[in-house]
Amino acid sequence: MASQSAQRTAPRAPRRVAIVGGNRIPFARSNGPYAKASNQDMLTAAVDGLVARHGLAGERLGEVVAGAVLKHSRDFNLTRETVLGTRLDPTTPAYDIQQACGTGLEAAILVANKIALGQVDAGIAGGVDSASDAPIAVSEGLRRTLLAANRARSAGERAKALAGLRPAHLVPAIPENVEPRTGLSMGEHMALTAAQWGITREAQDELAAASHQHLAAAYERGFFDYLVTPYLGVSRDTNLRPDSSVEKLSTLKPAFGKGDGATMTAGNSTPLTDGASAVLLASEEWAAEHRLTPLAWFVDAETAAVDYVHGHEGLLMAPAYAVPRLLARNGLTLQDFDFYEIHEAFAATVLTTLKAWEDPDFCRERLGLEAPLGSIDRSRLNVNGSSLAAGHPFAATGGRIVASLAKQLKEAGGGRGLISICAAGGQGVVAILEA
Amino acid sequence: MTKEITLDGAPDLRRIYATAALRRGNDSDTLPDVRYSRAGIRVDVDDLVAYSRVCRFPVTGALPSTYLHLVAFPLQMQVMSGDRFPLPLLGAVHVENRIEATRPVGVDEPLDVSVWAQDLRPHRRGRQVDLVSEASVRGETVWRGISTYLSRGTEHADTESSDPPSTEQLASVGAGPLWLLAEGTGRSYAAVSGDWNPIHVHALTARPLGFPTAIAHGMYSYARVLASLGPRLPASGLTSRVWFRKPVRLPSTVRLRTAFERSRTLSVLENATGEIEHAVVENSW
Repeated sequence: MASQSAQRTAPRAPRRVAIVGGNRIPFARSNGPYAKASNQDMLTAAVDGLVARHGLAGERLGEVVAGAVLKHSRDFNLTRETVLGTRLDPTTPAYDIQQACGTGLEAAILVANKIALGQVDAGIAGGVDSASDAPIAVSEGLRRTLLAANRARSAGERAKALAGLRPAHLVPAIPENVEPRTGLSMGEHMALTAAQWGITREAQDELAAASHQHLAAAYERGFFDYLVTPYLGVSRDTNLRPDSSVEKLSTLKPAFGKGDGATMTAGNSTPLTDGASAVLLASEEWAAEHRLTPLAWFVDAETAAVDYVHGHEGLLMAPAYAVPRLLARNGLTLQDFDFYEIHEAFAATVLTTLKAWEDPDFCRERLGLEAPLGSIDRSRLNVNGSSLAAGHPFAATGGRIVASLAKQLKEAGGGRGLISICAAGGQGVVAILEA
Repeated sequence: MTKEITLDGAPDLRRIYATAALRRGNDSDTLPDVRYSRAGIRVDVDDLVAYSRVCRFPVTGALPSTYLHLVAFPLQMQVMSGDRFPLPLLGAVHVENRIEATRPVGVDEPLDVSVWAQDLRPHRRGRQVDLVSEASVRGETVWRGISTYLSRGTEHADTESSDPPSTEQLASVGAGPLWLLAEGTGRSYAAVSGDWNPIHVHALTARPLGFPTAIAHGMYSYARVLASLGPRLPASGLTSRVWFRKPVRLPSTVRLRTAFERSRTLSVLENATGEIEHAVVENSW
């Protein structure tokens, strides 16, 4: 008996996790064509497109994990409600997560880990955000007053509670893109870091122009034919400007930072965007049983966080810390990659991260490394465009990047790719894919 | 020879209802041989979203099959409000509807829609007629709807009736969604469908037409049923039928019970106690 119970508790060897496919709706600038679509609508469209493309109608998956950063309180069970509106078997479990802009990639990590451990055989990781159909809450004063009135046991008590209402209470609370502990917007935070690292306007505009040109070229060669499903009459990301150039971008006025040192504009920062994405992950066996060919393998992932509140580190610098830990664990150097997907929250974020990895002092003092990680071959960076061109519906960006990189690796006939995504709250999520 | 009339825009339903009270129908037992069409109709995304919210469809970019009924509805009213149309428009009751959804239709596809009346025939309680609507995209028929309207009048007791399928198999289905339909449900649906028939709007406008309260639009109840069954039904090759039984008086609490078979569902929408059958819906593929 003892040996049997020992058998039962023996850990199983982890399994390889396949990225089988991905689907997203085209991303659209906020208050545009998706202005009235809800998070649930868009996530349903993204998941149903994935289901249709991979013949999963009626299939019970191990789980669906997704989230939204801007979420209505009524959407507490957003992902499960979405599953019930798709063609997946309604007995497919689901749960919501939220890790700011890291949500989509974190969802993929969670599903991948369960597959690796043999807890599920296949699952969908997704994310969605609408900056248009955003939740608006009643003011804190009105909320407290209404709760007090609700607690009241008599009409008199209720009247007394409601008498506390002030005109100012009627002003609604609208979500802000501001760090609660610093009161600074993400752009203002980034502007501080960019100035500290001496990131130039020209370098940022070059990166932004390249993002647009790469994304446009990827659409032209049909790269997104199996990754994007048109939605509400939109077939390409509406933020994409194929004719973007450094010259055009250089005419824009700074949007963040102050004075002559202000380098960040609306052109080299991501716009508020609506959109959704979903990625299908599975064990090798499940993929084979369903006659689906994996695009790539989900190898490993790491998350990091930085202490940004009192200025010890830049808000969006956490990936700079996560990547070396991931490299060390996998016995890799920064140069061992064929493709790099560094999320372009701002052009300056990408440039600062790259510069930090090249900086001996930063790598020694902050990362505890004897030598800097070094430079990367910039021709391998965001080869099919990234968030500056596609837009950035917060929780949907991870799924966009995982699916695009997996397809790129497949197209290249194999290779290794690195994903790096920064997130609000001073966090970073990074991962390695291989094909 | 069928008279083909192509309209540039949707007929104004308010004008049709405003003048409908003056038309009493006639004794003719033939239907005017006329077909109304509109070409290249573009669905407005905002309208679709508003409709989807009221009927609880997700906005996936494909048109709910009942939404195409809405697109064709003004043409139906145009046919039925014609001078030579034998049945009076006001007081006509939607008793049955059939939808054949060949394939999903995207919100950005241009629609050509034709509507005509056929099969004027006796009903136990009067006369009934079928309004046939056909939607096509670039020459391909993608959707067909047949709406059967009854006009109460001379009774024809010996007429064979088109009864819904037996709901006996639903006896074992104990549970299903329960919906609270508010007093203003008819106005909400009128706002997104344009169907401001006074029997749906308010008790005060419904009473002169013989209803003690406003009643829910049949196509609203039917749409709610299809939205609820939505992902369990195929997107292509679906035939959906509804038999409208007793009207849903507003406000009301209704319950949906459904039996699922391999290539068929059978549902009944009834009041909360199960004593009143409001609609029977059968989907097959």
